[in-house]
Amino acid sequence: MSFLTEDQQLIQNMVREFAEKEVAPIAAEIDKTHTFPTKTAKRMGELGLLGLTVPEEYEGNPCDNVAYSVAVEELSRVCGTHGVIISAHISLGISPILKFGTDAQKKKYLPDLASGRKLSAFCLTEAGAGTDAASQQSVAELKGDKYVINGSKVFITNGAVADTFIYFAMTDKSKGLKGISAFIVEKGFPGFAVGQVEDKLGICASSTTEIILKDCQVPKENLLGGEGQGFKIAMQTLDGGRIGIASQAVGLAQGALEAAITYAKQRVQFGKPISANQGIQWMLADMATRTEAARQLTRHAALAKDTKDRYSLEAAMAKVFAAEAAMWVTTKAVQVHGGIGYTRSYPVERFMRDAKITEIYEGTSEVQRMVISGNILA
Amino acid sequence: MKKIAVCYKWVLNDADIRINENTRALDMEKCKPQVNEYDRNGLETGVKLKEASGGAELVGITCGLNTESSTKDALSRGPDAVYYLDDAILESSDSATTSKVLAGMIRSLGDVDVVICSEGSSDQYAQQVGPRIAALLQYPSVSYVSAVSLDGDTLTLDRKLEDGAETVTVKAPVVISVSPDVCEAPIPSVKQILSAKKKPAAALTLAGIGLSADAVKPLAAINSVKAPQTSRKAINLSEGGASLDEAVGKLVKQLSTDGLL
Repeated sequence: MSFLTEDQQLIQNMVREFAEKEVAPIAAEIDKTHTFPTKTAKRMGELGLLGLTVPEEYEGNPCDNVAYSVAVEELSRVCGTHGVIISAHISLGISPILKFGTDAQKKKYLPDLASGRKLSAFCLTEAGAGTDAASQQSVAELKGDKYVINGSKVFITNGAVADTFIYFAMTDKSKGLKGISAFIVEKGFPGFAVGQVEDKLGICASSTTEIILKDCQVPKENLLGGEGQGFKIAMQTLDGGRIGIASQAVGLAQGALEAAITYAKQRVQFGKPISANQGIQWMLADMATRTEAARQLTRHAALAKDTKDRYSLEAAMAKVFAAEAAMWVTTKAVQVHGGIGYTRSYPVERFMRDAKITEIYEGTSEVQRMVISGNILA
Repeated sequence: MKKIAVCYKWVLNDADIRINENTRALDMEKCKPQVNEYDRNGLETGVKLKEASGGAELVGITCGLNTESSTKDALSRGPDAVYYLDDAILESSDSATTSKVLAGMIRSLGDVDVVICSEGSSDQYAQQVGPRIAALLQYPSVSYVSAVSLDGDTLTLDRKLEDGAETVTVKAPVVISVSPDVCEAPIPSVKQILSAKKKPAAALTLAGIGLSADAVKPLAAINSVKAPQTSRKAINLSEGGASLDEAVGKLVKQLSTDGLL
């Protein structure tokens, strides 16, 4: 059952049409060749998808977070890479500027990002600082009217294709988490470099890279939210990001479920479609149920973001459930296909590879359980 | 040129039709309504014609059951306004009554210089509504239009016909029926979707356009619709490990038996 408003349904229809007509035909090829989909990323900008939730004054399209979640789901239903491009750009790149930026920062950066003329990325994870964000080795030192930043980040989504980066660095190591600050860094700043490009299991066409800052000079006015505010900015940004990733997971599960249903009705063994076998029927029933449960939890979290100041609990629940549902459903979809499902002849193996990362990035499933238990035990 | 009207139909998405394997009846329960795909080309033709006219008003027009819910979708595809007639009596409307209602709506709007229809709808595909509206309005009718250009109040129209191609010049007012290749129907952007609610959508009534309930009773009734049954012989040419030569021989023999060779 759909509880979507008319606007949300129209956006869903529109994204589905775009995904089926323009993304689905290239999804397997860009996955195989690990090629970033420049053309369709540009089209997402033209269609206004890269400015979802952003006010009109910044060239955005001020829809709610449920509509945004639906859009990420629809893209991921045919291609996980497109889902994460938009999720990283909006939830992680645009959102912190929108929430914590000054008027000048918003006016300078948001129009280019919301219109899709430029892409954004979020630089928190370091080789020695994944879940343990306080172990940041990146350091920012104020010298005159500029911060000089040294450090490197890993696993940065949109790394090689973004122009604007939210970069976290220590401005006062002695303060631990309260010594972390956030900066808006442009790829053209002196000392900025893209490092190693990762060769991944899934979401192969998305750009995942190392970002290296060596004596990178960042104007003082590009400090986001004030010194020491970085950890708070990161955590609140990730709450929103988790809704994006949960939506990606729902889309992957839905895509795999539909593929499995189609295949089960077509594949004939022992003189009848395999969908006539109870073993397959029950598998499909459980896949559909988990997918729908993940969808409702995710849209509930998106609604919480639209209506509440804090929504960490809802976002963590949606993310852990949807990610694990996606992994389970996509694996079962390969099982329904049998041997052919293990090959690239059908999209289910790609959905399965893409699903794995949803249990890991923007907080592992274990971290989500920490957030949930911390909330309910507080 | 003052006003361009594009007629569109609010149809069920035929991609979601299920077929009952026993009765061959169509199950529409999962089908969601949408703007008829062919009419999307008509709406985009209207957008291009409006641009070429230098300021004509572009309106969308529809009638049928639950057409009120079509307006935002239609408005996101370019019209400045939509006029709809939502009446349960039109649920099983045929081409004749649909044309009568649409012609009445167009008359009531006044000053419509160009009426654009698509060649047909995805549900009935009767291909009659455009020419019927033209007859009722006593406008010239140009069908199978594959390209449109405008100079003042004169339209130059390319027609793709079975036995050739024609270029026709016609003065407004006129009804044109466009084929799907007249232009590509773009996917509406999020901005177009969100701004659709700011545009007007006005309800018309049968009484308001001077038609009685009796006047819109369908002349033809569809008693049943069933999916065609395709039967296959299911002959396995390589059965029993037949070689390629044996399989080819078997195929040739079968085709000869069937009178196809």
